[in-house]
Order: sequence, then C-alpha cells, then structure tokens
Amino acid sequence: MRVRRPEPHTLAGAYALDALDGPDQARFERHAARCQECTREVTGLREATARLAAAAAAQPPPALKEALRAETARTRQLPPVTRDSRATDRARLRAGGRRPGGRRPGGRRLVLALGGAAAVAAVTVWVTASPGPPGGQPAASQEIATVLTAPDAVTMTAQVRTGGTATIVMSHHDGMLVFTAAGLRQLPAAQHYELWVIGPGRDRPAGRLPMLSHGMAGPVVAAGLRSGDRLGLTVETASGTRRPTTPMILELTL
Amino acid sequence: MSPPRRPWAEAPAGTDHADLAALLARVAIGDRAAFDAMYDRVAAPVFGTVRGVVRDPGLSEEVTQEVFVEVWRAASRFDASKGSPMAWVTTIAHRRAVDRVRSEQRSAARDRRAASPMIAYDEVAETVEDNLDRDRVRRCLGTLTDLQREAVTLAYYGGYTYREVAGLLRVPAGTVSTRMRDGLIRLRDCLGAGR
Repeated sequence: MRVRRPEPHTLAGAYALDALDGPDQARFERHAARCQECTREVTGLREATARLAAAAAAQPPPALKEALRAETARTRQLPPVTRDSRATDRARLRAGGRRPGGRRPGGRRLVLALGGAAAVAAVTVWVTASPGPPGGQPAASQEIATVLTAPDAVTMTAQVRTGGTATIVMSHHDGMLVFTAAGLRQLPAAQHYELWVIGPGRDRPAGRLPMLSHGMAGPVVAAGLRSGDRLGLTVETASGTRRPTTPMILELTL
Repeated sequence: MSPPRRPWAEAPAGTDHADLAALLARVAIGDRAAFDAMYDRVAAPVFGTVRGVVRDPGLSEEVTQEVFVEVWRAASRFDASKGSPMAWVTTIAHRRAVDRVRSEQRSAARDRRAASPMIAYDEVAETVEDNLDRDRVRRCLGTLTDLQREAVTLAYYGGYTYREVAGLLRVPAGTVSTRMRDGLIRLRDCLGAGR
C-alpha cells in the first residue's frame, strides 16, 4: 500500500517542488495543517529550491520591466494580514502566496477596499457571516476577495423579472465576477436558479445559485469572461443541464 | 523581545537576504523604485525558472509578468520568519509556471514539450555569467544519488508531478516521493540553505 499511497510526510519534498497535483496536494495540505514539523520542513526545502531557481537564472528581455511598470501602476496592492494567522499560514504554505489574499479575516475590509459601495451589501453579508460557500469549493472565498479587491472592480445591479435584485461585482481585467441576489422568489424544492454565461458561439452554465436565508442567494463566481459576454439567470429543474431550458429572468451585458 | 527567527540566516554572504527583505517591505507600501530594484535582483532567477518549465518564450514572458504583478500585489504578505525573500518569490514563480503548464496539459502543448522532457541540470543557466549559484548547485546535485537527482531536477526544472516523474523513470511513485524528499534534504544541507 505504501508504494501506491505514500505516507503524507514523505510528500514534503514533492510538495516543496510543486510536484503534487490535485488529490495528492490536498492530502498533503490537510496533513501539514496539523503537522508543524512538515511546515518547517517545507520551509527549509524551499530554500533549497530557491537555489535551484538561482542556478537557472536567465535575463528576461528588457521590455518586460517596462511592461511591468505600466502594470504595477494600475494594480492595487493587498493590505497586510493582521488577524487570523492560521488562515494566513495555510495560504502561505500553499504557494508562497499563489493566490494572494487567502481567506480574508472578514468582510469589513473588503468593503473598505471598495470605498464602501453600499451595493455590495449582499456579498459582504455572505463573506462576513458564512464560514464557506455552501457545499462549495474552498477556492471560492479567495476568488471573491480577488474580485472585490481588484482595482477595476465595478458594481452593477439588475432586477430579476420574477422578483428580487441581483448584484454583480466584476473585474474586467481579471475576467471574473461575483454574483449575488436578494429578495428572490422562493422556488419549489425541485427547482433551482442557474447562472449562465452567454457568449458568441458558446453558452455555459456558471453555477447553481446557493440559496441562503431571507431570499439571499449566492455568491457564485464566474471566471474566464470575455468582453461581449452576457450573464443570464434561469430557473432549472434538472441538474447538470448544459443549456438554459427556460426563458431568462435576468439578462445583462457585461 | 527576541528577534524573529530567520531560518535562512545561515545563508552564505553575498545573497543579501536582508537587503531583499528591506526592498520587499518598501514595495509593500507602494515604492516603485524599490520594486525596480527588487526586480533587478530577482528577475533572472524568476525568468530562468519559468522558462525552464514553460519553454515557450512568449508564454514565459507572460508568466514572468504575472509573477511580478503578484509580488507587487502581495508584497505585504511576505513574512521574513517563514523563509527568505528569494524563496518566497521563486516559489510564486515556480508555482505559476507549473500551474500554467498543467492547465494546458490536455492540449497539444504538453505533447510538444514531451518531445524533449529532460532539461539536464548542466544545461540550465547558460545566459547568466558568473553564476556562482549554478556552480555550487551543480556540485551539490552531484552528491545526490542518480535517482534523487533525476527526481528533483525533473520536478523542478521540468515541472513534472512526482507521478509523472515516476512514469518517466519507470519507478514506483512512492519511491519517487521519498527520493525527492531525501534529495532535497541533501541538497539543502550541501548548500547550507534553510535550517
């Protein structure tokens, strides 16, 4: 058995080399979250990989530095993490900050980052109140933080035809949005709200809208958006449907 | 109060971790000149590492740019008690590079790469002169067993997962994972890096 599923601890080297993928990576991270020695070992081994990087040094083209000057000029920086060091450690162990942000200490700072836009209240309530997306992916809250703190984040609201208001925070630069809704009509148990990205020659489901209390729904993160894409909402019955089967109750050009 | 423990404090002179950490602290508060200076110090290791994994020159530049935008964005998250600034930056770079390669794994790009899977450690870094790290790393890699060395270099310079390395070397995956760990520990100790 040991050959097919190595002891988590023996994966520390592979982890430091970014040679773990999918389930292997998740398994090691679960183990490392409880194993301080593993975390220390990975830290030490990453000093060795840094030297491997230094040994491979190659000068990038000078134009890259110029391009970066323009890019950093329009990129907002993340604030330091001041609380919840446990989550920070996890995020840092993962990738040395692969997806900067990690899970944020709370929603308050996210709102401040947006200049207190009242329209993001629905998102804020969710980020503050809920420990994680219902049955969702752990990456979701990081993605939400990414969108909300994006320098070009814009907020849109739209009425849902069958009742309720949708709030969308979008970063065109990242091609991502966060969708939430409030005051939605309660659906029979067999039905659900489904979000769609409608693009030229391709419609794709962007996710089932998780229903929270008080008619609040979401959030759903949609990524890989291109200019000209539209966002749609339908009521669906079957799970995993690939195309909208009922008329749009919300349609929005992004 | 005792000063924060720095696992990289034993690093050889000349690597100037403290300088780089100070630059990162300036970057964190939006100092563009500090960012330029930091870039000059780490751009070659970052670009070399990314190019080794990604191969395609245009894509390598794109990923390198993403890495530095991320360093700019997340500079405030660098924590000197958790490793050296160079390790922080190169970890972001390597991770980005393998993420990019693996996300394209199902496409033909991977097949093209597979035509030349071995990037020998003595081939890397030809474009930087006076690369003391290269000589030292090469010498230390020479102290590893063949399997340790191949496992470490295929994973790091080739961007392969340990299961892929196992397939390439026709060795059980569990063996590869332990050799990677043993090899990296030996490399770390030989280089005097880390603790």
